[in-house]
Amino acid sequence: MEVDSSFGPIDIAISGMRAHGKQMKVISSNIANARTSDAGNGEPYRRLQAEFKTDEDIGGVKVDKIVKDMSDFLEILDPGNPMADENGYVAMPNVSLPVEMINMNIATRMYQANVAVLKRYQQMVETTLELLR
Amino acid sequence: MINVDTNITGPLNSIRPGAGTDSLGMPKIGISDGKKSGFANTIKAAKNYISEVDDLQQSSDVSIQDLLSGKNEDITSVVSAVAKADMSFKLLVGVRNKLIEAYKQTMNMPL
Repeated sequence: MEVDSSFGPIDIAISGMRAHGKQMKVISSNIANARTSDAGNGEPYRRLQAEFKTDEDIGGVKVDKIVKDMSDFLEILDPGNPMADENGYVAMPNVSLPVEMINMNIATRMYQANVAVLKRYQQMVETTLELLR
Repeated sequence: MINVDTNITGPLNSIRPGAGTDSLGMPKIGISDGKKSGFANTIKAAKNYISEVDDLQQSSDVSIQDLLSGKNEDITSVVSAVAKADMSFKLLVGVRNKLIEAYKQTMNMPL
């Protein structure tokens, strides 16, 4: 990573905002599909997770890939459901709402932190430019 | 015994306009031509800087237009372009004010 440009911190903060914005998208998809018993491929919705990676060029962060959480599905007892197995259990997505809520808080705070960095850096440059006056 | 460097203009040489080194990384103010610097050269360098600032302003304008016309939905790229344009414009205004002030002071010098 090399930061030789005065725009470097801007690019890095923007990359953080963008990455955590994508994280927010993944979380909203997880929450929206928390009760989706059919994701189109014959099994319930699988929880998605954004993997972050360092962006070597600018020193920022980027979403490398969005991976599926391969943990077990939640089994709920619902014998009346036409999709229930012989024991009366229906497979539900492996999404846990409390976990998603915490992740949402983290994503929000991280976004705010990156915006704070951007604002502070702008203030720093303005302070430097005040020396010209 | 403390050695005192009597060459006090040494550090100043590196900050004269037109030196070309711009550690800030903003669009370069000077042209690295090793020529003697002067007010006219500084104005010329400022002219170059204006066109670079103009490029940044134009790209921020384009990104705003793309956002408003729905061509681009990434608001962070707009923020990035606007922040860069804003920052370099502020530097330009600061340098311009300084130059004009220097010109006025020189012109008002009693001869």
